[in-house]
Amino acid sequence: MSVQDVAVYALLAAGVACELIACLGLAVMRGAYDRLHYLAPATLGGILIAGAVWAREGPSGIALKATVVAAFLLIASPALAHATARASRISELGDWRAQRGEGIEVEEP
Amino acid sequence: MNEWEIATAVLVAALLPCGWVCVRRSFAEGAVAVQLAGTIGALAILVLAEGEGREPFGDLAVVAAPLSFAGMLVFLRFLERMR
Repeated sequence: MSVQDVAVYALLAAGVACELIACLGLAVMRGAYDRLHYLAPATLGGILIAGAVWAREGPSGIALKATVVAAFLLIASPALAHATARASRISELGDWRAQRGEGIEVEEP
Repeated sequence: MNEWEIATAVLVAALLPCGWVCVRRSFAEGAVAVQLAGTIGALAILVLAEGEGREPFGDLAVVAAPLSFAGMLVFLRFLERMR
């Protein structure tokens, strides 16, 4: 087994492990806001899997596609998590901003 | 079955908890689960393409990731209007 194979297996295993951690967190946590935190390991897993493809193939078409997917996840996932939290607060409270009684300092208009 | 195909099988199995949350929990929690499922699904297709040695299958992952993002935005629009 070469050093390249070890790197590929390690990156692939780490990437899949990150996805499993994200799934476990999603299943175990309570509430949408707690579950949202476990989208971050999924994004990291995507980057690690793209790294595994790069380590195995080098510069190639599939490596480029893996990089595009990982880059898109890196950009889109935090934005979507923010949008999800915002939509959830609007659905619950009618406004996404901090409300009185939440223990957050609210600025007077 | 090589290691990439095993990884694909694990990733597909990881979709089950997402489905469970979608079915059993609230709309907002289901939206989070769909978002995670979209990420895992795109990565599963990518890993399968690499495992099978078929580069064109990687295009599916490149398309699935943005479509999942766009679909989620529509779901979030519905979520905002649910009161």
